[in-house]
Amino acid sequence: MLRLLITATVAGALAGSLCGCTGVLCDRLGLRTVAFAVAHGALAGAALSFLVGVNSIVLGMIFALFTALILGPLADTFDIPIDMVSMTLFSLYNALTFIFLILSPGIVLAAEKVSQVLWGSVLAVTLDYLIILSTIAVLYALFLVILWHRIAPILFDRRLAEAEGINVRAYTYVLIALTGLVVVFTLRITGGFLVFSLIYIPASSALQLSENMKRIVALSAVLGLISAVSGVYFSFFADLPVGSSIVICAAVILLVASVAGYFRRRSLMKIVS
Amino acid sequence: MALKPKARRDLQNKVAIKLENVSTYYSGETKPAIRDVSLEIRVGDLVLISGPNGSGKTTLLETILGLLKPREGEVLLLGHSIPREASLVRKQCSYLPQDFMKPAGEPFSVKEVVAMGLSSIRPLGKLNQNDWEAVYEVLDIFGIRNLADRPFGRLSGGQQQKVMLARALVRKPSVLFLDEPFSALDKESRAYLSREILPDLVKKGITVLLVSHDVAYRPPDCNKIIYMKDGVVVRVEE
Repeated sequence: MLRLLITATVAGALAGSLCGCTGVLCDRLGLRTVAFAVAHGALAGAALSFLVGVNSIVLGMIFALFTALILGPLADTFDIPIDMVSMTLFSLYNALTFIFLILSPGIVLAAEKVSQVLWGSVLAVTLDYLIILSTIAVLYALFLVILWHRIAPILFDRRLAEAEGINVRAYTYVLIALTGLVVVFTLRITGGFLVFSLIYIPASSALQLSENMKRIVALSAVLGLISAVSGVYFSFFADLPVGSSIVICAAVILLVASVAGYFRRRSLMKIVS
Repeated sequence: MALKPKARRDLQNKVAIKLENVSTYYSGETKPAIRDVSLEIRVGDLVLISGPNGSGKTTLLETILGLLKPREGEVLLLGHSIPREASLVRKQCSYLPQDFMKPAGEPFSVKEVVAMGLSSIRPLGKLNQNDWEAVYEVLDIFGIRNLADRPFGRLSGGQQQKVMLARALVRKPSVLFLDEPFSALDKESRAYLSREILPDLVKKGITVLLVSHDVAYRPPDCNKIIYMKDGVVVRVEE
């Protein structure tokens, strides 16, 4: 039991901090709906696995990664806003998920694996999973630290960054692919329906507390970590689903951050006036 | 450092920008935003692109920079074909866009925004001590060193425009594209930019393309005025 709790805590901490960073970057780059499309790609993949009888996690990940990799090129090739492409794929994947589940043999909606994909489970956290999540966290951190001075101008103004010679398209594709990886591997804990909460709620909280981009990214990672870890413990002690518990903790943190942000802005206004 | 007159004359014989029968269309549009534009701008020229709103001035700048792809014609910028070789030449250019304003809460400080101008021309974007000194020097030129640590979004429109001008200058570009650089400036700052900064850039051999909707405006030391209307160059004054 203790080992399970420790494993879930570490996984929650890694997933929470990765989602926190991802939320801020997606928000700044106007990629808010990318996570929706990727997560529902995973759902469609998992649903198809029940129909064809293969591993649901593997097929879910293949669908999600494929989605993350094609979103940017699709939007650029057909000159459609990426949010439109994301929401189109999101709807398509919902339809496919439903069709695959209806066509699957037996009553699969009650199956444990479908439940894992939809709602997440700490039971799905294994040592292999922790190693993969740690590797993604290290790669993500290295990407941000080493290339921050190239990423910051893109976060400030994409078109100006492009005019100044930064390869905005390449950096954006890498960030979309990283978002895809983060979503895919967080699905196991929070599930497809709640992963967005862990991505966007800590980012919203961090935006209340600072006007410094580096601090916002770091704060969002820390708040994501706190949301995930407190959610894991809350779920253990209150015997509630992990994903839902994490979202409730993240929402409480947002409430506190919003109140703190209100007073911070008021004090800033007083200093200015 | 300003160039000697002979060196300046030699430079001015070289072509910085050349357009031949260039037409650019926006996605889904059947009417071109600029049509059949042919131009030649020499190194070290100060060129004013003038015309009413919607005449294609910004489209022309963005076509030269390769941000918009021309459907017809050929664009050469510092000897490179645009947009195919744009990535090779953009590091020698600076651009002040027309829509630079950011809302309150923009999470970058003034000095960070100016330093971003150097990020694309340094290995991995990392700045050294000299770069930071250059950032503060250029803030001094516009008298905004005291704002260095303020969040960019909390500045007035005029202050934001000065920061963006500082960002354009800190790169020490070969070609400078200024799209409505006076739009948010007060009378005093406008005169300072027009009478002090622009002539100084020309003395250094920098090619400047300046867009203004104010048809009465004439910068000192201006070599060429391009008048545009409805996407067409209607007159060029040398």
